[in-house]
Amino acid sequence: MSISMDDGVGELDRLMGDSRQDTLPATLEMTRDSVIELLAKISPMPRTLKVSVGPVAIELDWTEGIAGPVRHEAPALPAAAPETRPAAVAADDDVDHVHAPIVGVFYVAPEPGARPFVSVGDVVTPGQQIGLVEAMKLMIPVEADRHCRIVEFLQPNGTAVEYGDPLFAVAPVQGG
Amino acid sequence: MFRKILIANRGEIALRVARACREMGIATVAVYSLEDRDSAVVRYADEAVRIGPASSQMSYLNIPAVVEAALRTGAEAIHPGYGLLSENPDFAEVCVANGITFVGPPPQVLESLGDKSTARSLMRAAGLPLLPGGAEPADTLEEARSLAEDIGWPVVLKAVAGGGGRGITVVRAPDDLATAYRATRRTAAAVFGDDRVYVERYLDRARHVEVQVLCDGAGNAVHLGERDCSVQRRHQKLVEESPAPGLPPEVREAMCAAAVRGARAVGYVGAGTFEFLVDDLNRFYFMEINCRVQVEHPVTEMVSAVDIVQEQLRIAAGEPLRITQDDVRLSGAAIECRINAENPDADFNPAAGRIDDFEMPAGPFVRVDTHAYPGYRISVFYDSLLAKVVVWAPDRAGAVARMRRALSEVRVTGHGVRTTTGFLDGVMRSPEFAEGTHDIGLVPLLAQRAAAAPGPDTAVRAGDRDLQRA
Repeated sequence: MSISMDDGVGELDRLMGDSRQDTLPATLEMTRDSVIELLAKISPMPRTLKVSVGPVAIELDWTEGIAGPVRHEAPALPAAAPETRPAAVAADDDVDHVHAPIVGVFYVAPEPGARPFVSVGDVVTPGQQIGLVEAMKLMIPVEADRHCRIVEFLQPNGTAVEYGDPLFAVAPVQGG
Repeated sequence: MFRKILIANRGEIALRVARACREMGIATVAVYSLEDRDSAVVRYADEAVRIGPASSQMSYLNIPAVVEAALRTGAEAIHPGYGLLSENPDFAEVCVANGITFVGPPPQVLESLGDKSTARSLMRAAGLPLLPGGAEPADTLEEARSLAEDIGWPVVLKAVAGGGGRGITVVRAPDDLATAYRATRRTAAAVFGDDRVYVERYLDRARHVEVQVLCDGAGNAVHLGERDCSVQRRHQKLVEESPAPGLPPEVREAMCAAAVRGARAVGYVGAGTFEFLVDDLNRFYFMEINCRVQVEHPVTEMVSAVDIVQEQLRIAAGEPLRITQDDVRLSGAAIECRINAENPDADFNPAAGRIDDFEMPAGPFVRVDTHAYPGYRISVFYDSLLAKVVVWAPDRAGAVARMRRALSEVRVTGHGVRTTTGFLDGVMRSPEFAEGTHDIGLVPLLAQRAAAAPGPDTAVRAGDRDLQRA
């Protein structure tokens, strides 16, 4: 499931073609160009690259060796991660989980007895509601932050969760 | 008394509140941002709930998240510490609406005293002396100009909703008013969401003296004496002490009585602080009321032997004050120095990083309130306060000597980390502070002196010492 640097750029290319939002293709194109330019100048190759497009943020990480697989993360970008990762870091890793946006009680459906927002296997798009967390009688939507497939529900319906707790395991959607 | 409370704060004050609770047999719930997951209070408290990401806006200021954490853990009350949500009437109201006790004044008191313009009117009505200035905000530049002409220059523009030293501009000459007025309104709107400002006489050679009060829900009110907080940079305090040096007993008495009168007049409940300016003729003027426990509360605790946080909790639990004014015995002198992660040589700009060595003073009559430890990462997301070093001695000269000794034991090193320690030692060594004749102009004066005679031995350059010792 890990992708090489080239694959990642390929994904960006593909996404740019897919996107329906008017400004997204241009943003992604600029992002891709910047990333390629940036990586060309960096040696050794970082293990992790995070790109955030809104209020620009680029994070590079060389920990745990160098020149490993590269993960891309940005709003509307696909995500991929090495298959073997120490379990201990899983909770801090936002690459293949969707996390709780606030402390509260997690629900998979809009109301008791209703159909869940999503089922395992569903492919979801960024911004799509996939759950909700109730905090102080406020219903705060849990939204997919990327184009991905729901792999697993990690918390039972009605569980008390804290900020950042993983709620869903998700897999990147590759090749359309 | 409460069985369990939630502490809606971080840093040293969260730990301070947790300590008071442990002494009182109250279980504690800490809330923390992702950034603070390794913080001292998370380990110290009985329970901890992660409420949000690093940004205060999304964690410590996130009212639904904080209240949800209290409801979930069954906390009966929330202690808000200082800053953050501590003086937010909406938060106090949401607590009440959810059946949780807010440790602090009632929401409507927070509401009226949080608006400085309203607070001034209320205190004027209660007979407290105010500096010449508009009771009402100056809504236009013309209004501000005409007020300033009436009052006389210099004047100070203050945000009606201000606090924490922000939204304050001193204007010395008529020509500077227009720019300052617009800038202050812009800052006030951006920081406090309320662009109203009022105009007040500015005193160049004033001392900042405040009075600590405690009021219960049954109408009993006492003061615990005063604190001098004149050593400030950018309207933010660096050194505080009690009692205020050189204040004539009759002035102290009148000021403390005025504070108690003001507190009664507005139905104040809890611990609060009345801030005054004292001019060179020892006339005092009411400035504002802080509706919370303050950073500098330990100096009052040292001279009064009253645990202010425990009293806050008792009052919030509905207990009557256990002391009357006659029981309050103030003795000796106490000084607090704030060890901030800041560079005194660069206008006290934050100097954050990871702390390698962290040693704090000890010894007789020395108290250190801190949340930092070796390996602690100073976050750029929050304020720069690392530790408060507080000393007590039978007299002020002894307290100054003890503080100098205590500061000499402070050791904070780390890449990029600078602290105010050396600067504070320079303050202790300055003749003005040593003699107690200083005023709010002391920090600029020391900076001027250092610029005039640069060298490693000057007071301000002493800020380097942490690094030199590394």
